[in-house]
Amino acid sequence: MKKRGLISVAAAAALAVSSLVGFAPASHAKAKRITLAFQGPLTGEEASVGQDELAGMLYAIKLFNAKNKGKYKVKVVQADDQGDPAQSAKVAPGIASNKKIIGLVGAAYSGATIAALPYYKQRNLAMVSPSATRVSITDAAAGNIGFPVFHRVVPTDKVQGPALFKLATKGVSSPKVYIVDDQSAYGVGLVDYMKPTIPAGQGAGFDSVSDKTTDWSATIAKVKTAGANVVIYTGYFPQAAPFFKQLRDSGYTGILAGGDGVLSPTFVTLAPASVLEGVRLTAGTVPLAEIDAKLEADFAKKMGKASGVYAAESIDATNVFLSCIAKGVSTRDAMLKCVKAYSGKSLTGTTIKFNQFGDVAGGVMNGFEVKNGVIKFTGAVK
Amino acid sequence: MIGNFLDQFWSLTFGGLSLGFIYILIALGYTMVYGVLRMINFANSEIFMVGTFATIIIIKDVFQFTQTSEYATGFRLWLILGTALISSMLVSGILSMLVEMVAYRRLRRMNSGVLAPLISAIGVSMVLSESVRILTDSRPVASPRAMEKKFLGQFFDAGIRIDNTIIVISALVLFGILITFVNKTRMGKAIRAVSMNPNAARLMGINIDGVISATFLVGGLMTGAAGFFYTLKYENTSAFIGFELGIAAFTAAILGGIGNIKGAFYGGLALGLLETYASFFLGTQWKAVTVFVVLVLVLYTRPNGLFGEALTQTRA
Amino acid sequence: MFNLRDKGAEIWESQGRVGRVAIAVGAIAIVAALPFMGGTFLNTPVADYESVLVYPIAMFVLMAIGLNIVIGKSGLLDLGYVAFFAIGAYTMGLLGTKTELNTWEILPIGIAMAMFSGIILGVPALKLRGDYLAIITLGFGEIVRIVALNLGALGRSEGIQGIPTPPGIFGIEYAFDSHRIYYWTLLILILLAIWMVRRLSARRAGRAWESIRQDEDAAELLGVPTFKYKVWAFVLGASVGGAAGVIYASKTLFIAPDNFTLQISILILACVVFGGMGNIWGVILGAVILGYLPDRIRFLSDARLLVFGLVLVLMMNLRPDGILPRKKREKAIVKKDAS
Repeated sequence: MKKRGLISVAAAAALAVSSLVGFAPASHAKAKRITLAFQGPLTGEEASVGQDELAGMLYAIKLFNAKNKGKYKVKVVQADDQGDPAQSAKVAPGIASNKKIIGLVGAAYSGATIAALPYYKQRNLAMVSPSATRVSITDAAAGNIGFPVFHRVVPTDKVQGPALFKLATKGVSSPKVYIVDDQSAYGVGLVDYMKPTIPAGQGAGFDSVSDKTTDWSATIAKVKTAGANVVIYTGYFPQAAPFFKQLRDSGYTGILAGGDGVLSPTFVTLAPASVLEGVRLTAGTVPLAEIDAKLEADFAKKMGKASGVYAAESIDATNVFLSCIAKGVSTRDAMLKCVKAYSGKSLTGTTIKFNQFGDVAGGVMNGFEVKNGVIKFTGAVK
Repeated sequence: MIGNFLDQFWSLTFGGLSLGFIYILIALGYTMVYGVLRMINFANSEIFMVGTFATIIIIKDVFQFTQTSEYATGFRLWLILGTALISSMLVSGILSMLVEMVAYRRLRRMNSGVLAPLISAIGVSMVLSESVRILTDSRPVASPRAMEKKFLGQFFDAGIRIDNTIIVISALVLFGILITFVNKTRMGKAIRAVSMNPNAARLMGINIDGVISATFLVGGLMTGAAGFFYTLKYENTSAFIGFELGIAAFTAAILGGIGNIKGAFYGGLALGLLETYASFFLGTQWKAVTVFVVLVLVLYTRPNGLFGEALTQTRA
Repeated sequence: MFNLRDKGAEIWESQGRVGRVAIAVGAIAIVAALPFMGGTFLNTPVADYESVLVYPIAMFVLMAIGLNIVIGKSGLLDLGYVAFFAIGAYTMGLLGTKTELNTWEILPIGIAMAMFSGIILGVPALKLRGDYLAIITLGFGEIVRIVALNLGALGRSEGIQGIPTPPGIFGIEYAFDSHRIYYWTLLILILLAIWMVRRLSARRAGRAWESIRQDEDAAELLGVPTFKYKVWAFVLGASVGGAAGVIYASKTLFIAPDNFTLQISILILACVVFGGMGNIWGVILGAVILGYLPDRIRFLSDARLLVFGLVLVLMMNLRPDGILPRKKREKAIVKKDAS
């Protein structure tokens, strides 16, 4: 991709940060200890998303701590909410009242975010979520439930839904689109915002399938009955891979597409390369290996496993806090102010800035295509 | 809708059948144990899950397949499939025996009723799935494709795929072996005797502990085979794959009449088809609801399931 | 082995009326003071100690008492208890956001809704044999969740947000973060439930349940209307679950189908069996331990659910009748019965 040349390996993560170190207060012999928190599912069935995000966060912090040895030592409190709003509601007050924590990366899931928000708002704890995309969190019409503490580095379902449809149908002369969601708030949300943008005659049908489904034959029969030549799945990669695989194996030859929940390096390991060839994906960012292969290699070396879903988003979200810490921020109030005023580069080189509601300003949706078992960047979706 | 259904009838039916055969094998795990102990083996779903991982390890690590590998053919293919099947069966069978020792044996000796072992089995379930989750970095795992998924022929409009064919034939063979084992061998007869009346069986000099271990082993072997077939067909697994399938298979066992080996067979087939048809007609989201409504209706008209309970016909 | 339950009963029985009142008041005072003990070893890492007291602990205790009526008292295996909790919570969610009714007015409605669904489920399900009840109730629990997941009126997967907190009573204000107030409210509900169960146990219904649990056929032959009492047990159990659901929804302000999974049913069942099925004090202790443990062992991070599973296996093997089992006399009958 074009911007790759601008950004060197690991420096990518620490670039924005290290350039600001000069502003930091003169350091004493002892490193200043700062605590951030991560909230997401770390155990139980949803753990794959949370563990991957946590690894991204810890990676960014590792680089930062190494870079600022003797000046700062950032620590992470892990708040496991199992992706469950009920768990979130008891974790959040604990995090909120832990005064050492001055910023929170998360929550990973929108439902858990909504359950946690009252506590974070009350205690003025700034949040930057790498993956909570539900529109209502930052929607003024829905009562501004995230204001002022909530921020996110991902575009919302409202941005991604239509973009995903556009990418999926790009270059198809007479698209007949079949859309399948995973019954999660994320999947259903994407479809809800996609629906109004579907031109007349292009929608071939909808299905809503539990995210625990393993056998897709009924959905596949419906896709075939509808005569669809484009199939969009709005859900996460663990289900997307088997679905696409079974669809292809049944003889379907049309286009397959999915959103950022599918854009995980693990996704391409879940099906034969020939099956996933040409799958189109959208996301607000770019996988680490696509930014720079060396970055991914460094990540794998430092974290002991390859980067996962929402990895780049998590690093971006963490870097927002880290750059504020480098500016000397050490209280919640200052952190919130700093995040609100933040303007910095993301891993991909775009500018991260938040609007008044906490949404990332001018977020672009990028398009990707799977080629030879690798997710390749194909340019912004326009 | 009906027209569409007829168009898709055979592909839906084939899909439902091969899923049904996987249910049958898992349901046998539940039904064998229930037949002998009158207990729901809650950990059976995790025994299945471990079986899927055994197959993946064989294909990925022993035979070194990746997602970009060439497909295996001829003798090598059958060697791979055979090794994977046997490994999955053995791993699950042995694990099943271990589960019995850890979760059930002591409680059984203390005559503790049904619920304590149920909770202890739930505990084992959690330990197994959480351990596998930690070992797999919480990520789903795929089996690389060792066998090309070719179509062997057409039946009306539906293609007959090789993996589905293998599943149906091998499951039938395994089922036949199981029936013969239970009816003809010494151990099989002992299992039936314990199922009928444990006290009388003990008085007849049957080693109850041995028989129960054997029952768990056989149930585990069948469940492990299901793990292999599942991986062959769907090629994906995760630490939590067992839960939904376990509940579906348990439903199948009850539908057919839990404790009854033939019941598990027809229950599994019926459930596989029912789920597939219902998903097509009513929408996939109402699948589980349909299944349970049908289950309630069946149990109402036939309170012991479609084929009645008991490993033997003689028990009232 | 040292029997905590018998020891406790011995102390209780040796006391006169004054002594008993003193013990009860003392015990309630200690339990009510729990929110002030956050600074001690009881404190939970990461999760907020006082919220943990509300959910899961107090909530689990309430639900376990309800489920114990169904399982421990009448011997019916219910794997879908979360359905009643969900029905209570969704009643609160819907009426709380769509009408002017407040929590205290919705509470009886939620309880009634849960009882009504208890009848709908119980009447057909209880005609079936015991073991099948497990799968039917399990299915019912899933159906309730799936309906919530698919009906637009119930917010589908997004759930219902903006549920109001209860209005203040007697000058006590319910803010969303006044965990103590919710805890004490739940404590009152728990005491009410205990009182209800104890009253019923000592009366006709209690004797009928006991006879059903020990030998249903014999009870039927002796003229106990077993079916009626089984439905009663079911419905009473449901009412407690419904009440818990209403309070839960007006505490978290946001509910979604994800909160009402099968895992909750299983966990509550584990509380009942773990603590000592049939003995209300055991059940309460079980719920306290299993509700508290996962949050207390958060320092284990990745392995905490694994350890939780190990504890279940270990404890069930060491104490198959639970931590505080029911009376020995009753146990003996069960044992003879089971062999």
